[in-house]
Amino acid sequence: MECNQGENAVKIDLAGRIDSNNAARIEEEIFAQLKDTAEGSALLLDAADLDYISSAGLRVILRLKKAYPDICIANVNSEVFEILEMTGFTEMMTVEKAYRVVSVEGCEEIGRGANGTIYRIDQDNVVKVYNNADALADIQHEREMAKLALILGIPTAISYDVVKVGNSYGSVFELLNARSFSKILAQEPEKMDWCVQEYVDMLQKIHGTLVPPGKLPDMKETALGWARFMQDHLPEAAGKKLLALIEAVPHDGHMLHGDYHTKNLELQNDEVLLIDMDTLSVGHPIFELASMYNAFIGYSEFDHDNIKAFMGFDWDTGLAFWRKSLSAYLGTNNPRKNQEVEDKARVVGYARMIRRSIRRHGLESEQGRAEIAHWKEELLELLEKTDTLLFAPNELELEAVAENLPEVQAFVDEHLEASGCPAKAQMQIGVAVEEIFINIANYAYKPDKGKATVRVEVSENPVVVSITFVDHGVPYDPLAKEDPDVTTAAADREIGGLGIFMTKNLMDDVSYAYRDGQNILTLKKSL
Amino acid sequence: MINSHGKIDLHMHSAVSDGTDTPAEFLAQVKRAGLGLFSLTDHDAVKGGKAILGMLSPGDPCFIPGVEFSCKDGEGKYHILGYGFDPDEAEIRRLVDHGHQLRLKKIGARLDYLKTTFGVDFPQEALDWLMALDNPGKPHIANLMVKYGYAGTKEDAIRLYINQLRFKSEYLSPEEAICGVLAAGGIPVLAHPCYGSGDQLILGEDMDQRIRRLMGFGLQGLEAFYSGFTDKLRREILDFAERYGLYITAGSDYHGDNKMIEIGDTGLEEVSDWPEGLRRFVKDATHGEQVEI
Repeated sequence: MECNQGENAVKIDLAGRIDSNNAARIEEEIFAQLKDTAEGSALLLDAADLDYISSAGLRVILRLKKAYPDICIANVNSEVFEILEMTGFTEMMTVEKAYRVVSVEGCEEIGRGANGTIYRIDQDNVVKVYNNADALADIQHEREMAKLALILGIPTAISYDVVKVGNSYGSVFELLNARSFSKILAQEPEKMDWCVQEYVDMLQKIHGTLVPPGKLPDMKETALGWARFMQDHLPEAAGKKLLALIEAVPHDGHMLHGDYHTKNLELQNDEVLLIDMDTLSVGHPIFELASMYNAFIGYSEFDHDNIKAFMGFDWDTGLAFWRKSLSAYLGTNNPRKNQEVEDKARVVGYARMIRRSIRRHGLESEQGRAEIAHWKEELLELLEKTDTLLFAPNELELEAVAENLPEVQAFVDEHLEASGCPAKAQMQIGVAVEEIFINIANYAYKPDKGKATVRVEVSENPVVVSITFVDHGVPYDPLAKEDPDVTTAAADREIGGLGIFMTKNLMDDVSYAYRDGQNILTLKKSL
Repeated sequence: MINSHGKIDLHMHSAVSDGTDTPAEFLAQVKRAGLGLFSLTDHDAVKGGKAILGMLSPGDPCFIPGVEFSCKDGEGKYHILGYGFDPDEAEIRRLVDHGHQLRLKKIGARLDYLKTTFGVDFPQEALDWLMALDNPGKPHIANLMVKYGYAGTKEDAIRLYINQLRFKSEYLSPEEAICGVLAAGGIPVLAHPCYGSGDQLILGEDMDQRIRRLMGFGLQGLEAFYSGFTDKLRREILDFAERYGLYITAGSDYHGDNKMIEIGDTGLEEVSDWPEGLRRFVKDATHGEQVEI
C-alpha cells in the first residue's frame, strides 16, 4: 500500500519510542499541532525515526484515525510494521514500509520501458526505477504479472526487493552478467540473425501462451481507447474507420508483452530472459506488432537519430532487425505479405504514437507538430486502403496474373519447407499450384483483372498439405471437364486439359466449390 | 427498567482516581453523552460509585457500581474490573483498602527515593495534600515537582526523576482481586485484555493461556469492546469470550481531560451488534433489571 495523501496532507513526524511514559504528552503535542487543522483533513505520519511503539502509542494513532480518517503512516521500520500488522492497524489505514535507499547515479542504463528505466546497480543486480512517483501499486502489479508469466512458462526475472531511488520507487532484480539484445546488436552486428531468431522464438512463445481469463487486461480495450482519443484528431470518416477496424479484431486470450523490443530481452549466460513485464496483456498479435513497429521504426521515422538514443544502435540496424523479425515471425519472405502486415501494424501504431505525443504536449512544439503531421498523413493513407487488421501468415492475396506465379510458388515453398516437406512432394505440389494459378489467371476475370488468394495449411498427424485458391471470377469448375485420353498418340490429342488431369493424379484430393461468389479450389496431399 | 438506546460505557474514571471529573461532574458528562447504562471504575476505589448512587434520580441512566484493580503475579500484570457488587460489602472494602495501602506505601518509597537521590523536598502541607488524595500516584508527585521548581514539565519529572526508581512494588494478585469481587457478589472482568496492564501486546496463544489461568481463579468476563482496540483485536477477544462462555463488556477508559478518550468510545456501534455475552452481562450485573434495547 502506498501513502497517497496528496500535497495538502498535514505531515507529522514520529520519533524515538512511543510508550506509556510519553504517549499522553505526544498525543497532546500532536493534537496541539493539529488545532488549526480541520477534522477529516488528510494526515501523513512520518515514522522514519520511530523506533518502537507500544499499545499506548497505538491508541494515540487510533484516536488520530478517529479524528482524521484519511490517515497514513509512512516510512515504517520492520519492527514497528510487525506490530501494526499484528494488531490490525495495517487493515485500518495505509501503512507504508520504509525502503532501502539506492542511488543510480553513474549506473549504466540497461533498459527503458513505458513505465520506468532499468539500471545496473552492481554485477548481479539491476533496479527498475519507475517514472511514476506513486509506483508501489505498479511494482506490485508488475510482480504479479511476472509471476503469472513465469507460471505460464515465459522465462523472466522476478523482483525480490523494493527500494527508494530519489523520490521514486524501484524494484530490484537479480540479473547476472546479462546483456540486452540492444547492446548485442550495437556491439556485435554480425549476431543480427541469431538475435532475430531468439527474439522471434520468444515472441512466438509469448503469443502461443493462453492466459486464464481475467488475469490480464485486454489489449483491444486499450487500443479502442487510443482510437476514441483519435476521433478529435482525424477527419470524421477516418476516425470512424479506425474505430471500426479495431472493434472488428476478435478477442484473443493469448499473451502479449506490450513493449516487446530489444532492450527488454536479456541474454543471461545462455538463457534469454524477458523483462519489463508490467505491460502484459492478452489480445491479437497485431497489437504487439504495432508496438514493435513503433519501437524500431515509428518513433524514429521522422528523426532517424531518435533510435540511437533509445536503442543504442542506428536506424539501419533497427530497420533491418524489424524487417527480418517480422518476416521470421510470419514465416515468409514474401515482401507483399510482410508489407501487408506491417501496414496493419502501422495503423494501430500511428494511432498510439499520435495520442502519446499529443498527451505529452507534442502539439506545443514545432518539431512535435511536424512529427504528428507526418504520422497522421501516413495513418490517413493507410486507413484508405485497409479493410481489416487481421492477417493470416499462410495466406497470400495478389493479382491473378501469370507474372505473379513465381511469387505464389515461392510463398508455397516457404511453408512447405518449414513443415519439412520432402523435395519430391514439393515438386509435385509445385506443378499443381502452377496449373491452378495459371488457370485462374487465364480464365477467371477475362478480359478484366482480379485478385486471387492462396492459402497454405499443413496439418499434423497425419501430415496433410492443403492449398486453397480463392477468386471472385466467373463460376468455373475445372474438374467438370472430362479427363483427356492419354493413350492416344500425341498428334491426335486435344490441346489442353492435361494440366488438370496431372493435378488430379499428383494430388490425393482436388475439390471445387462455388460459395458466396467465390471459386474455391483445394488441393490436398498427404506427406 | 433501563431506558437505553443501547449506548453504554462500563470503564471510566473520575477524579477519585486518575480522572479529572468529580463524581457530580462525571454524572453530568455521562448524561450529556446520552448513555443508557454506565459504570464508574476508579482504580482501587469505590467512593465515586457510592456518591453516584446517592445522586441518581428516576429517569437517569442505569448505573452499575464498578472498580478497577491493578494486579500482578509471577505470570504478568493485569487490570481486573469488578461490577455489580454492593460498594459497602466487606470484601470489596477490604480489597480497596488493601489496594490503597499498597499505593500509599509506593508513594512513600518514591518520595524517599526522590529526597535521598535528588534532594527533592516538599513542604509538609504538600505531603499532607498528597497522602490525603483518594488515589495518589506518579502524576501527582510530578505535579508537585513542577510546582516547586524541581522539573520543567510533568513529563520530565516522571521520565528524568520519578521513573529512575525501579522497585519491586507490591500489587494485589489477580487471584485476590477476582476472589474478592466474587465474594462481594460482583462479576470479575479482564480489562483491555490485549494490552495487559496497558502497554503490552498479548495475542494468540499467550492470550489464551492468560485467560484460562485467570478463569481458574474465577474470571467471568472479557472487555472485548475497548476504545483502543482495532477490529482485529476486538474479534480476537470476542472469539475467546465465545469459546469459553465468558461475559463481554464494553468500556472506553475515559479519564476526563487526562486522556483523549470520549465517553462511550468503546467501538460498540449498534444495539443490534450486542453479542449474547454482553446482553447476559447487563442482565446479571444489573441483577435482572430489564434492559429495553
